[in-house]
Amino acid sequence: MRPELERLQRIEHYLLEPGSAPRETLWAARQLLDPALRPDMEAQQLVYRGLQVAGRRQLQQELSAIHGRLYGGTRQPRRWLQQAAAALQQLRRQLSRRG
Amino acid sequence: METAVLLPPAPADTATRFRQALRADRENTLTQLYRQAFPAVRTYVQQHGGTASEAQDVFQDAVVILYEKAVAGTLHLTAAPATYLLAVARNRWRQELARRRRRPHTALHDDDLQLPDPEPEPTPLPVLDYVSQLSEKCRSILLSFYYFREPLEQIAATHDYRSVRSATVQKFKCLERLRNAVRQALR
Repeated sequence: MRPELERLQRIEHYLLEPGSAPRETLWAARQLLDPALRPDMEAQQLVYRGLQVAGRRQLQQELSAIHGRLYGGTRQPRRWLQQAAAALQQLRRQLSRRG
Repeated sequence: METAVLLPPAPADTATRFRQALRADRENTLTQLYRQAFPAVRTYVQQHGGTASEAQDVFQDAVVILYEKAVAGTLHLTAAPATYLLAVARNRWRQELARRRRRPHTALHDDDLQLPDPEPEPTPLPVLDYVSQLSEKCRSILLSFYYFREPLEQIAATHDYRSVRSATVQKFKCLERLRNAVRQALR
């Protein structure tokens, strides 16, 4: 793997696997030596959260498809309302920043 | 998938077998579970003031809870998965009824769900948009690994990689694309 991917892998191990005190010390030192490490870690953490949300939505879609096959009928997922509300909230923030 | 995995009584290693079944054939395992457990949940919800649609919501949320615990290895079953599901769904519906008594005239709400890792709404950054912009292959590999917790051997086979090593490299390439998009947005 090229070095950039190995770096991603190291960050992944740090973020997703239970750590020990010596490893925490080592990572604190790494962050001092590498200023780009913290933003990379933060971005990677957001990515994992996003994948969790996206995966959950896919599972919900799969369950709705199973429901449709077993019992027939399709319907609008109720989460559409929340997604629309979230989009509106985001738009409102953008507009308030411009204003 | 053996139907016996889903029906009571539950042997000691049911959670492990259920996890393996979910990983090996998610669609079939969930379909079996749906067929066995949903009618009882629907009957319960309809007998306690709910609709078939609300029963569907409550049931599917219970399946998500069950699924996430199962693949994370944190599910401790003392009964069959279908029995567990019925108990979670009944509990959810009772909580929903209690909430309605406090706040009448409102519909079933995601805020009231106790999913294992609450979904941040709205997501801090449009990470979901970046996920949806990935190629189908990348999206599938990342969700299969990080959410559905499929083994890399299985992911490699599904996506026609000659080795687990190749699938691992591809997974990190996809992750890099997503991470770079998020980093760009953070600047």
